[in-house]
Amino acid sequence: MFPGESVAILGQSGAGKSTLLGLLAGLDAPSSGELSLFGQPLSSLDEDGRARLRAGRVGFVFQNFQLLPTLTALENVLLPLELSPQPDAEARARDWLTRVGLGERLEHLPKQLSGGEQQRVALARAFVTGAELVFADEPTGNLDPATGERIIDALFDLNQQAGTTLVLVTHDHALARRCDRCLRLADGKLTEMTREEVSA
Amino acid sequence: MNAVAERESTSPLASAWRLLKLSARGLVRDLRAADVRALFVALALAVAASTMIGFFLDRLDRGLTRQAGQLMGGDLVLEQGRPFAPEIREALESAGMVISDQVDMVSMISHGDAFQPASLKVVDEVYPHYGTARVDIGEGVEAIPSGPPAGEVWLAPRLALLLEAEIGDAVRVGDSELRVGGLIEREPDQSAGFGSFNPRLMMNVQDLADTDLVQDGSRVEFELLAAGPPEALEQLSPLLDRLRRDGVEVRDVRRDRPGLGNALERAERYLSLAGLAAVLLAGVAVAMATRRYVDRHLDTAALMRCFGATQGELTRLFALQLLWLALAASVLGALLGLAGQAALLYLLTTFLPIELPPPGWLPLWLGVLTALAVLVGFAGPTLLRLKKVSALKVLRRELDPLPASAWLVVAVASLVFGGLLWLYSGDLVLSAGLLIGGLVMLVLLWGLGSLMLSGVLKLAGRLPRGGGNDASLPQALRLGGQQLARRRTASLGQLLAFSVTFFAMAMIALVRGDLLTTWEQQLPEDTPNYFAINIQPGERDGFEQALSGAADARSALYPMVRGRITAINGQTPRDVVPAEARGDNALRRELNLTWRESLPEGNRLVAGQWFDDLEGSTSDWYGEVAAEPEPGARPVPISMEDGLAERFGLSLGDTLTFTIGSAEVVGELVSLRNLDWDSFRPNFYVIFPPGVLERFGHSYITAFHLDEGESDTMRELVRQFPGVSLLNVDAILAQVRDLLTQVTRAVELVLAFVLLAGVSVLYAALTASRPVRAHESGLMRVFGAGNRLLSRVQGAEFAILGLASGLMGALLAELATAGIYLAWFDLAPRLHLWIWLLLPLGGALAIGVIGHLLSRDLRRQAPAASLGLLGET
Repeated sequence: MFPGESVAILGQSGAGKSTLLGLLAGLDAPSSGELSLFGQPLSSLDEDGRARLRAGRVGFVFQNFQLLPTLTALENVLLPLELSPQPDAEARARDWLTRVGLGERLEHLPKQLSGGEQQRVALARAFVTGAELVFADEPTGNLDPATGERIIDALFDLNQQAGTTLVLVTHDHALARRCDRCLRLADGKLTEMTREEVSA
Repeated sequence: MNAVAERESTSPLASAWRLLKLSARGLVRDLRAADVRALFVALALAVAASTMIGFFLDRLDRGLTRQAGQLMGGDLVLEQGRPFAPEIREALESAGMVISDQVDMVSMISHGDAFQPASLKVVDEVYPHYGTARVDIGEGVEAIPSGPPAGEVWLAPRLALLLEAEIGDAVRVGDSELRVGGLIEREPDQSAGFGSFNPRLMMNVQDLADTDLVQDGSRVEFELLAAGPPEALEQLSPLLDRLRRDGVEVRDVRRDRPGLGNALERAERYLSLAGLAAVLLAGVAVAMATRRYVDRHLDTAALMRCFGATQGELTRLFALQLLWLALAASVLGALLGLAGQAALLYLLTTFLPIELPPPGWLPLWLGVLTALAVLVGFAGPTLLRLKKVSALKVLRRELDPLPASAWLVVAVASLVFGGLLWLYSGDLVLSAGLLIGGLVMLVLLWGLGSLMLSGVLKLAGRLPRGGGNDASLPQALRLGGQQLARRRTASLGQLLAFSVTFFAMAMIALVRGDLLTTWEQQLPEDTPNYFAINIQPGERDGFEQALSGAADARSALYPMVRGRITAINGQTPRDVVPAEARGDNALRRELNLTWRESLPEGNRLVAGQWFDDLEGSTSDWYGEVAAEPEPGARPVPISMEDGLAERFGLSLGDTLTFTIGSAEVVGELVSLRNLDWDSFRPNFYVIFPPGVLERFGHSYITAFHLDEGESDTMRELVRQFPGVSLLNVDAILAQVRDLLTQVTRAVELVLAFVLLAGVSVLYAALTASRPVRAHESGLMRVFGAGNRLLSRVQGAEFAILGLASGLMGALLAELATAGIYLAWFDLAPRLHLWIWLLLPLGGALAIGVIGHLLSRDLRRQAPAASLGLLGET
């Protein structure tokens, strides 16, 4: 994968997409084989080493949002920033929340936000650190089609603005089509798909 | 520059500061969650209870020591029958003590034709170390911080009356004439010498030589009164031990502080016990709240791992966050504790005539230490789970780290609680005993709880099965019971927590009730308020008759013979008794001896046999009390107070020789008695059987109760028996009654604290079980259960839980109170039937209602929300 590229990983339910994503992001260690992240072989790092490698450089968007229920929207976005010293953290968090259209809902708790709004908070959280790489795991899986559409627009928009590398795991071909490259995961094998295959 | 590089480039100080800020911010946000609030409340209560009691006991202790110093006339008092050697003075002075000399003796004082024996107290310029004398020097009573000047004496008003002397008159003391300078209303120190029955005369040491009263063979006591800091006393310990061995009477303010009396001592123990119970309850609440806290933070931890936090950072972050919580709770708890001890003092204020020193810092540190210990002990192992969270949990929700082992949680909590017990009681054996007892109980409870849950499951299954949305009671009980019993591990945890809670609350309430009953019984309405002493044998029957018509209650008339212990097992007493008892009053002075056929009322035999039960006839005792008893004659059996025997290191079979007048009587210890010194009845260290002491000069003593209105009887007694001294103890009695009332109130205040801590456990535990219940009620709703059924099932479940916990709590409370009474309060254990009813029913009601209210909003939630289908709830 190359910097700035957007890659979709397609696969049926149970094909192991999430496992692959966990491995790619260094959340899990492979039982065999070699993986590198930012040019660093992950096998040379322990779990803490992999965490340090991720810090500030990798963003995540999850299917079930993973917002902390006791934190406001602003605080949820601040969370990854708080792990590294950044003087303008709060201003940046506000800025990103405004970019996803939640400038007026900074102090709301997740349960006071709709599903789409919650996922937009998650988007702001993924990009706020200036991540070089964002992993998105079925980002529209829990949303209705119209809301999902808007979230995807926002995701690609932000991706472009920030020049981030995006890895998108999905079973939705329409969504995959918007990426530069598509890969299919089936029977434990990852294969490059042609445009036609994706459109089919 | 990426975040890692940034982080690694900052100084350790800056990153520590960042972590501090981050954790503080995290805590503030976290306060929105019920479990954190429950943690906070529980910790604050633990600190409040321990500091309140700590502050109070600390102040009381220091106040009593100060008061004791004043009563004794110094922090250290040495007394012997000859002047003190200069080396002793030098040793005291070089240790930093200030010395005041005092001489005590009894001498005849005269004024004109009136002669009167007086108890002389000769003081120097340093006198008194503490306090002031209240003296009338002609212009009303005033406080004077010194003794009489040279050339003057101060008289007790009674002595002045008997001598018919007034201020300004001259009285003869030995060979001198001294001017009466004032009438002493109260002396600053109240060291009672052997002549304390005689009225006081105080004079200046400069006049002593001229009186020529101190001569070889005259009975004079020389005293060194020394004042100084505790460190100086500590430093002097070896010297004091040596002096004791040499037979000097050593009174050390730290050791010989007058006792608080049984009532206050028991109250002190009660307060300590209640404080510990509150801490234990708070600990249980902390443990319950922590489980929920950790469950809730597993997601946070996983996310933070995702965002690049290392295990170390996570551990530090959460540890710091909880540290803030503990500190904040400590501050609030300490403030509550301060207010609480002020309230305690206020309740006890009329009893405590002493001015207490301001609260010290020590209890505050103890309070903070308690909060931290409770947090580490009751939350530590559970918290460690957070560190073990895998980042992968964000993708796979089921990837929770294993729950902390229940045994580890209990073991760590027990160790910490045992440490606290030790810290507070200062008694390692007792703490270890309590702890081991507690663990045995816990295992017992665990087994009993398992059995109960199985029983509940079986019983619930037998209840009739209702159809559809039937919300009848049996249906609710069946479903509720099954839910409870099937969620076995969680329910067992709650069952244990609630049983311990009910147990601690019940125990503190039980002990309170029993203490109060004991106190009430101790001083019934007709407690003797008069002592009559010096009743001559010829007056005995007449006096008894005169009393029988008037007094509602009286003790027996006890004959009284004065005798001195002059040998123990044939040796000089000083060589036999433990070193610290060599200066004991009971060796230095004459004891009041009595004889009696039966065990006196209020006495309890703790060893040996009473005279009735002894083998052989009484005729073997010395028939004649002769200077040289016949060879082979058995010594006289005697009975001794157990405390004195312990001080002297005596046991059954030891012999004591008493010198009575010019004769000697040898007695052998055949029984030890425990007696209640607070009983307002005549009490005796040594009792002889009848037939031994009759031949010596003796008088009788008795105590009786007369109502205030019976002043005619009083006058008649005085007229009829002019030689008998009647002492009215109404004032002392009232003071003791007052004390008991006030101590009772203090005890109740502390009980309220324990109950509050108990409620905090209920709150924490029910908060902790919310998510599981939400999930269950969501599922039931999905399957078509109506609101009414849900509400009843939950109510039934809570009520069954409360009932079972109440039963187990009652069992535990009975066992524990029995143990504590025997070990700690010196009370006989008793069965409390009412708690077997109250605890299960009250528990069912309390937990049923509180639980039902706390889960009200769960029932209002849409099933999708409770099942987490709409994301996090």
